[in-house]
Amino acid sequence: MLQGSMISCRNLTRRFGDSTAVNDLTLDIPAGAICAFLGPNGAGKSTTVKMLTGLLAPTSGQAEVCGLDVAANLLEIKRRIGVLPEDLGLFDDLTVEEHLLLTGAVYGVERSQTRARTDQLLHALSLEHGRHTFAAACSHGMRKKTAFAMALLPNPQVLFLDEPFEAIDPVTAKIMRELLASVARHGVTVFLTSHILSMVERIASRIVMIRQGSMVWNSTVAELPQSLEDHYFDLVESPVVEELEWLGSPRS
Amino acid sequence: MARLAAIVRALGLAYRRDWTAFQSLVGNNFFLATVFFMGKAGGFIYLILGLVLLFPLSTDPMRKIPRSRLALWPLEPWEHRLLRLVSPWINPMTWVIAGLAIWTAGRTITVGLWGLIAGIFAAGFLLSDLPFAPAQSLWRPMPNFPGRLNQLVRKNLREILSTLDFYCALILSLSTIGFRIAGVAMPGEAFMAMTLLVVLALASYAQCLFGLDGAGGLARYRLLPLRGWQLLAAKDAAFLLVAIPLTLPMAPLVGAGAACMALAIGHSPAVHRPRTQTRWRFTTGASIGNGMVQIVAMAMAASTIWSYPAVVLVCVAAWLGSLWWYGRELEKTREE
Repeated sequence: MLQGSMISCRNLTRRFGDSTAVNDLTLDIPAGAICAFLGPNGAGKSTTVKMLTGLLAPTSGQAEVCGLDVAANLLEIKRRIGVLPEDLGLFDDLTVEEHLLLTGAVYGVERSQTRARTDQLLHALSLEHGRHTFAAACSHGMRKKTAFAMALLPNPQVLFLDEPFEAIDPVTAKIMRELLASVARHGVTVFLTSHILSMVERIASRIVMIRQGSMVWNSTVAELPQSLEDHYFDLVESPVVEELEWLGSPRS
Repeated sequence: MARLAAIVRALGLAYRRDWTAFQSLVGNNFFLATVFFMGKAGGFIYLILGLVLLFPLSTDPMRKIPRSRLALWPLEPWEHRLLRLVSPWINPMTWVIAGLAIWTAGRTITVGLWGLIAGIFAAGFLLSDLPFAPAQSLWRPMPNFPGRLNQLVRKNLREILSTLDFYCALILSLSTIGFRIAGVAMPGEAFMAMTLLVVLALASYAQCLFGLDGAGGLARYRLLPLRGWQLLAAKDAAFLLVAIPLTLPMAPLVGAGAACMALAIGHSPAVHRPRTQTRWRFTTGASIGNGMVQIVAMAMAASTIWSYPAVVLVCVAAWLGSLWWYGRELEKTREE
């Protein structure tokens, strides 16, 4: 694995029966980078995040996070990373605030620090009004912000964020973007997946594109030969707009 | 009328699919025990089961249609009114109540009993039709516990209290306390038997400790930097915090021993075959075989502790051993 990489994988592959979700993925993400992992639905983005965070065992290949082998040091890696998983991983029976207090306690953050960070995160993400709302009763946006706050609270070395900006209002999205830029400046590595290319273009320092499980692009943003959107459409998928004749025609 | 018929058909289908209250009984230890071992004393037990079941069955089928969706459909006011009138008859309980009313007219059952049953049904029906869900806020305030597992234990307690198993155990416990307060003479063994019944009512939950966490919850457990035994301990602590107080007024050592055995046996299916559960239903165990093993182990532990109280330590040791072993197993589980 490359020296100084916070996220590395070699020939990472995951198969589900006959279909290959991720095929032979090799990556090195340095400390302090914000890596956007792009691809259409079903391309293998979430599967990759799950393998890198230890949620899913790879069929073959090797992954390292924070210089530690994921398969051999799972507990130690969990202590060092923050994750916003695809399904958010919230408990219906805990309130927004209780989720953050749980995170602080479980990650060994001092109680007073946990309280202070909880208040700051709830304020920054406009979650104060819902702090005593149970996750089951939260809107999707509130649930996502809660899961995002849980990922940040332990002050991790690496952040894995699966579609962090989807279903988020523009103001909070901007706040989240600035928080991520700030943590990256302090050396935290961010690995995120997203479909919102305009947001990715503003925040990412590295772009990786994946199509049908295989990597088709890996470079810094500066090395992109054209705009991110054009390059994405060229390499990953072109939008084909079909005419639906019955739409807008007189009703029978 | 065609669109109304289509809505009623869809409602009926959705309601039938969700009608899990009776199905959940099949794998429930308490039900198994009453069927296999307590045929003679079944009347009282089945009355309690019936009362606890009646409430969740008494829901309004119209609840299956999201309010926003119903408001968006292009229905005439008379169609809304007709739907309101027709939909309660999708719930079989409406037919049962109507049948009982005919029986009452024929003086087969008393008006008082019919009134009680119809009242419980009506309360459940009306509560389910309120725009807010009272069940969501029930039992939400929880005490804090020392240690880093505090929030997990509180969450797990809320989960247990949203199963019907707890209410069945509560009614059994309160009935026994009522007998005690009333000064009714009972043989000592009756307290041991009632204690065992109370823990039996809760025991199926020990087989599906992660059943109410949902897929998101399981993913979060896998991400938390906690050992498997710690995750299980948070589940077990909540179970014991419910089981032990309910058995305290009867035979506390028997209760503690039986609860430890329920957990010791229940860890295996809870870790290896997690089964999703539904709130406000009886918990369904992993299999009838698992349930039988649990019942026999609990019964043996209870009767032995009744004669030799020190045996409770053996039960505690069995539980701790199981906690350690299945904690390791839990760490090995990942998504498929």
